[in-house]
Amino acid sequence: MKIAVCVKRVPDMDARFRISADGTSLDEAGLKFDINDFDAWAVEAALQLKEKAGQGEVVVMSLGPVAAQETIRKALSMGADRGIHLAADRIPFDGFAIARALAAELKEGSYDLIFFGKMSPDSSNGIVGPIVAELLDYACVTAISGLEMADGRGTAKRELEGAQEFVEFTLPAVLTVDEGLNTARYPSLKGIMAAKKKPLESKPAQLGDTMVTIKSLAMPPDRPPGKIVGEGAAAVPELVRLLQTEAKVL
Amino acid sequence: MANIFAFAEQRAGELRKVALENVTAARALADATGGEVHALLAGSAGIAQKAEQLGKHGADVVLVCEHDALKDYNAEAIAALAADRIKSGGYRVAVFSTSAQGRDLIPRVAAKLGVGIVTDVTDARIEGDAVIVTHPVNIGKVIATASIASTPAVIGLRPGNTTLVENAKAARVEQVQPVGDPSASRVKVKEMKQGTSAKLDIGEAPVVIAGGRGLKSADGFKLVDDLADAFGNAAVGATRAVCDDGWRPHSEQIGQTGRVVSPDLYIAVGISGAIQHLAGMRTSRTIVAINRDKEAPIFKIADYGIVGDVAEVLPALTAAVREARKSH
Amino acid sequence: MASGASLIPARHQPELPIARFLTGGAPDPEHVPMDVVFVGGGPAGLAGAIELARLTKKDNESGGSLGDIQIAVLEKAQALGEHSLSGAVVNPRAIRELFPDLTDKDFPFRGPVEGERVYFMTGSQALRIPTPPTMQNHGYFIASACEVVRWLGERAEELGVNIFTGFPAASLLTEGEKVTGVRTAEAGLAKDGQRGPAYAAATDITARVTVLSEGTRGSLSQAWLESRGVQSENPQIFALGVKEIWETKKPLDAIVHTLGWPLPTSAFGGSFMYPLSPNTVALGLVVGMDYPDASLDVHEMLQRMKQHKLFRQYLDGGEMLEWGAKTIPEGGYYALPKQKSGDGVLIVGDAAGYVEVASLKGIHYAMQSGMYAARAIFDALKKGDTSAAALSAYDRAIDASYITEDLRKRRNMRLAFQKYGFYVGGAMATLMTLTNGAFPGGKIESHRDSDAPRLAGAGERFVPDGKLTFSKLDAVYKSGNATRDDIPSHLIVDQDVPAEIAELYVHMCPAGVYERDGERLVVNPANCIDCKATDVIGPRWTPREGGSGPRYRQM
Repeated sequence: MKIAVCVKRVPDMDARFRISADGTSLDEAGLKFDINDFDAWAVEAALQLKEKAGQGEVVVMSLGPVAAQETIRKALSMGADRGIHLAADRIPFDGFAIARALAAELKEGSYDLIFFGKMSPDSSNGIVGPIVAELLDYACVTAISGLEMADGRGTAKRELEGAQEFVEFTLPAVLTVDEGLNTARYPSLKGIMAAKKKPLESKPAQLGDTMVTIKSLAMPPDRPPGKIVGEGAAAVPELVRLLQTEAKVL
Repeated sequence: MANIFAFAEQRAGELRKVALENVTAARALADATGGEVHALLAGSAGIAQKAEQLGKHGADVVLVCEHDALKDYNAEAIAALAADRIKSGGYRVAVFSTSAQGRDLIPRVAAKLGVGIVTDVTDARIEGDAVIVTHPVNIGKVIATASIASTPAVIGLRPGNTTLVENAKAARVEQVQPVGDPSASRVKVKEMKQGTSAKLDIGEAPVVIAGGRGLKSADGFKLVDDLADAFGNAAVGATRAVCDDGWRPHSEQIGQTGRVVSPDLYIAVGISGAIQHLAGMRTSRTIVAINRDKEAPIFKIADYGIVGDVAEVLPALTAAVREARKSH
Repeated sequence: MASGASLIPARHQPELPIARFLTGGAPDPEHVPMDVVFVGGGPAGLAGAIELARLTKKDNESGGSLGDIQIAVLEKAQALGEHSLSGAVVNPRAIRELFPDLTDKDFPFRGPVEGERVYFMTGSQALRIPTPPTMQNHGYFIASACEVVRWLGERAEELGVNIFTGFPAASLLTEGEKVTGVRTAEAGLAKDGQRGPAYAAATDITARVTVLSEGTRGSLSQAWLESRGVQSENPQIFALGVKEIWETKKPLDAIVHTLGWPLPTSAFGGSFMYPLSPNTVALGLVVGMDYPDASLDVHEMLQRMKQHKLFRQYLDGGEMLEWGAKTIPEGGYYALPKQKSGDGVLIVGDAAGYVEVASLKGIHYAMQSGMYAARAIFDALKKGDTSAAALSAYDRAIDASYITEDLRKRRNMRLAFQKYGFYVGGAMATLMTLTNGAFPGGKIESHRDSDAPRLAGAGERFVPDGKLTFSKLDAVYKSGNATRDDIPSHLIVDQDVPAEIAELYVHMCPAGVYERDGERLVVNPANCIDCKATDVIGPRWTPREGGSGPRYRQM
């Protein structure tokens, strides 16, 4: 079974972010980076399938500057077999361009399954996986939080708003992983040592044109000062009114 | 003059609120360019009846596709259909929702069309050759303004962010055929279960109600559970302190190393507001605090606060929310 | 307000669990073989790894037969530097020796010390006093220990050193008297000790030489020294430092040290405030842990201190970026272990106690000791002999070095204070400085911090304002502490801790690990930021799941 997993290096979301001088990117100084949590669950899913089947290969791919190789190595430390780095000066905001570059490489691999994380918390679009699926004409199931495979078919669970969907799909397929599917394993010391020797190929990314660009970044406006609506149960009707008419959340 | 496409999401034969949001937003874009709003509605036989509701919010035309195989969400068929209609209709912008279904559908459609796409959009306008959208990044800590240079531009609106506006239009129904054989999908819904596996996850729920030490005991959380129940789409969270005390499981913990949540509505009950808790919920859209201590730090970050005894306030709020939800 | 009860913390402190830290028996068949492993990725361990890597590389290049020497550095923090905390004003001597081809501007320092001021404080005043000769910092550099460590880590990796972060060493592997490697801590255990879904077993790493560069109050170092019976003449004593980094509106133009308020005369210590940049300062308070007032709370004392105009003038309108705490070994010369090496093992850095209290210096001693260790190890590897005899060359190098010379000069300063109190101790300190350590000459006896009696007292209630002053809970958040909340407790607590001792722990711990619920001690192990204060006078600290604890960025 040939499985590919696409992973992304993202900054730690606990940080205080600063907009850099060019106004369209964030200042990376002092930021800590790691593999996107969703992608780590995707890697875990791939590894579990390979272990269950007793055979197969898990290939990890990442697009970005040289630092993307650290993220690939982390996946290799978890147990993936080899890595492919698609080199680009920057990770573009346009997910379509990223998908195009990944699809061009993935096409060569004849993968049975390609895993993605459902989304990454920085760019927050969640579109790369399904676009890759369309470009490769693979079946695609997004946001899976449960997975079972048997004989070239799979069943996946998806959480909707207030409901769950159980979906059957055929291979080859692209699956995007949501929280709850599994818990990503810690790389073992042996795994980290072994990863240093695993093949990691780097080649230029074929991004093509971008159709979406960032014009500017801004800090969200400061929350306006709140108000104490009243005291005790008597304040409830006014609160509900405000939530309905002003905040529009009810 | 530019026509705008809006996708009408339905579930179990009923329009979801996001469908009306899409039409409302599309109407605003169409009005700015002097164009029409064409909504696409796909489902099993009889779904056409919902067209009028779409008209109420501004749809000039409703493209209806009725087929057995479209009863449940049929990703491949709907994506193919939507892409086909958008292409033949020459629309300037295609408006979808970034709902769970939308997240699946939008990129497929954009990929088939080969056009630019941005999801979780909080504002959109047409400016010359570009569609300019606002899109929060980095868990809402930074706001991006992006430019989509393609026609059409495909956007996914943030659910709940658009106020519905009534602006009745003709809603002329046009029957359209699916593309290919909708029952030949490689991805098929086998089963749908209403309600969620466990309680609604705090990371996904649009409403999160969190309880702290002010609830006095594990039993005190019943008040919170009742309120969550009244909302129907709320998840229950807890502070680190009450999780450490064993009143609630750590999976519900918000802040410190527990979860960071960013719901539309966050209600903090009996929570004083230590920084480590605030860090877990400060990007929530609307924050309500209920606490007996009017000096509690949580009131500094809350948009609305009630000073009072939670045992008194919560039941009253629960009843009021149940009442309000009836007309949802 | 004193209730009169005299408490001896040692009576309630569990014994050092030596058996837990020294494992006999054959290593796991799946062990990872290394040549040399450094336990702890701080300045000492990294400097040692760099020096050793460089020596072996040079040797191989000139036709030596050592071959590929695998060097590993194990670090319990998630990333290098995240558990490093210091003032810091660094003497560049050691780093210059380690990198002779680089110049001062290449080093990871924030800037040279431009000016220096010392104050004696009262509650309302700050009286400038002449800078004592022990504290002259001209020619030194202001630095962030985290940044120094990260930079050293990059140099080490460039030389092929294997750095494993998130891997604490939980015990030493031993074969009789020989140390043969380390065993890492397990990860992914649930609160009840059962294996969770992400359980990761311990890994054995075998090595010909193990270097204990664990830092202050290292568990394995303590266990090894005690098991060999080669601890120091005087027991090691410690100070607790609590530190904050602030973004400020007003720039600070000099490094500042203070004595006096807010410390009572019965406590030894002082404060520091250093400019890290035109709009960032590092400030902190350091207090000897033999303080007699059981309600003394270093964190709260620091919060009060910030309200004094000397500090407030810089902090008002600013924002606290980080908070942290760490203990510092203060015993000096007489608290250095009798033997700092053995069969297959050496102890370097703070773990050995190379800190000079009067001048607040330890980083360059740590690095220098790592370098001496590396040289001794290199020679030992060349000879194919890593026995105690071979490695004792390290001890001799230390004894003949400026590290020992510096510590010897000031050997009784801190001890005089402990024995004779503020005024007499202060006078003796002056004499020691003037006579360059000749008088008073003989060793002053000292006792462990845990043997120092405390008077239980109510203490003053402190209410933080959340803008200038913060509660321990808020502070811990600012340390970046990301410990898994349902982690099992790593602290060994005595049975039936009496209420007054619980109260002592509550004040001792800067991170709010200990709370008092009526008569009962409540332990919140996830709050722990590994400062080790608890190990000094309270419940014993043991290594826990890698990546737990603080995530310092600029400390």
